[in-house]
Amino acid sequence: MNAIILSALWGVLMMYTGFATKNTRTVSVVALLGVMAVLVVNWMEYLGVSFFNIDTKGMLAYNGFGLIFNTVVLFSTLVYFLLSGREIEKAGKSPSDLYALIFFILSGISIIAGFKSLLMLFIGIEIISIPLYVLAGSDKSNLKSNEAALKYFLMGSFSTGIMLMGIAFLYGDAGTFYLEGVNAGLGALTPMKAIGMVLLLASMSFKVSAAPFHFWTPDVYDGTPTVFTSFMATIVKSAGFFAFLKLFEAAFGKFQADWQVLMAVVAALTLVIGNITAVFQQSVKRMLSYSSIAQAGFMMLGIFAMNIFAKQGMILYFAAYSIATIGIFAVLSKFKDHSIDAFNGFAKKHPLVAFSMLICILSLAGIPLTAGFFAKYYMLLAVIKDGNFLWLAIVAILCAAVSVYYYFRVVQAMYFKEPSHEEELEFSPSFRFILLGAAIIILVLGIHPDYLTGLL
Amino acid sequence: MHINEILFWFLTALALFSAMMVVFSKNPVHSVLWLIMVFMAITGHYIIMNAQFLAIVNMIVYAGAIMVLFLFVIMFMNLNAESEPQKSKWMKFAAVLSGGSLMLILIAALKDNDGFISSMRGEGSIGLIKNLGKVLFTDYVVPFEISSILFLSAMVGAVVLGKKESSTIVS
Repeated sequence: MNAIILSALWGVLMMYTGFATKNTRTVSVVALLGVMAVLVVNWMEYLGVSFFNIDTKGMLAYNGFGLIFNTVVLFSTLVYFLLSGREIEKAGKSPSDLYALIFFILSGISIIAGFKSLLMLFIGIEIISIPLYVLAGSDKSNLKSNEAALKYFLMGSFSTGIMLMGIAFLYGDAGTFYLEGVNAGLGALTPMKAIGMVLLLASMSFKVSAAPFHFWTPDVYDGTPTVFTSFMATIVKSAGFFAFLKLFEAAFGKFQADWQVLMAVVAALTLVIGNITAVFQQSVKRMLSYSSIAQAGFMMLGIFAMNIFAKQGMILYFAAYSIATIGIFAVLSKFKDHSIDAFNGFAKKHPLVAFSMLICILSLAGIPLTAGFFAKYYMLLAVIKDGNFLWLAIVAILCAAVSVYYYFRVVQAMYFKEPSHEEELEFSPSFRFILLGAAIIILVLGIHPDYLTGLL
Repeated sequence: MHINEILFWFLTALALFSAMMVVFSKNPVHSVLWLIMVFMAITGHYIIMNAQFLAIVNMIVYAGAIMVLFLFVIMFMNLNAESEPQKSKWMKFAAVLSGGSLMLILIAALKDNDGFISSMRGEGSIGLIKNLGKVLFTDYVVPFEISSILFLSAMVGAVVLGKKESSTIVS
């Protein structure tokens, strides 16, 4: 509750900073302070200090899992602001409004962290989605950005309609919006409940870009200004997965045997399509958007298994994936040319940045000693402990092997090719050290994943 | 047959027929007009269910305001039967196949459901504005207040998108 209210209020404050100062650097600093403050109050709620005691009639309730998730997401946002603050300043005429939208999204994510009712789920998802449509189209003079925003808006509102229809079916069956109410009753899956569940599965799969609902992802991620692609692909996707996990655990946990087949098919399709298509991409930005589909496939494994390993793994996955992707996108957003060739000889010119980026890429590929390895390990462990559908684990391992190929093409370009581009890039010392800090976090989590998973 | 039942079946038939006409009309303006008919029929359903507030809101907001906006946009865009893009035969086939199987599954699942009547809960007075207001400001006050964040963000977004920028569109 602390985080919802503070981030919404800070969003309003951000709008006023646009009037108070024309200096975009000040706006960024205010935003940075804001996300730190939200992080602190969220952590205080975890420690048991709640500033607001509002009777939500049980529609919002926070437990350790939700608050840890929120902390991970807010921390990733902090890293994102630190690394990409300069780019947000350049993205539009008034960065204060864009920051305000990001804070509203954070408020929506905080709702997602604690929803207990389908109504709150819907409001949370909408608060996340609507500002994102705007962020996708914030580069108004670029036709690709316009296209991305329109495509995202149309497809997103369609999936929201499907979600509402699912909620209506569930309400018609259970007579309540509460997740416990949906899960209660007889053990059998009634036809109404089954329809509602499948519709919700489809719309949530859309939000997290799981196949076969992923077709919007490459175009939207490619067209959106790179700074906001970074935000969409990491923080917002984590929130979508958390909502997905929580919905299916709390509302349909009893029917796991019924939906496991569906979830297994979705997970396997996402893994295969994401990884195979990513191999053929020539642009790093497009490759990363397919890689985000591929990573979504791995996170789907956690929802498929839904046991304690899956929960721990999801939290670790959110941290590992978000920080690594934010790091790569932060470097990528300095480039004008997004093709893989643009990275040729990058390590010779900027060894420190290239090294940090190398660690981020290794983490995405799941190489040991990085956080990504343990994230993937936990997901596979969850599937194997679950016992059903062991072929899913084999598919996942094969896809992880495929993913190494396209991730290492960037590494190869950075380290083993001669510089061909004369594009001069400027990396400020603070940027270099923050990126190195992000890489160190990935390494620490890769050696001691229990620092994060132990909190659950 | 009770008068309510006759009205119900009449409105249902009208709503379904109009909804089909929305899809089948070649002229987008006709589609919008048929859509207004759908909303009218659904408004009738709300009145039968004693949900007067919902009926009025549906009438004013959907059939009134939103549909007028729709009409304006369609007239601005100057769409007509000629400018409709041609879809390939396979696309149509795939759409019919997938839509038809979805309908089949929905019907198959719902026809075995005998819980329809029993799941119509409440005494039939919840749709009155007095009761609705009470529920909205007691049980549902938190979602009600939180949705203000949603509207605020939508407004900020509209301003961001609508603000003038000096540069021109380049591809």
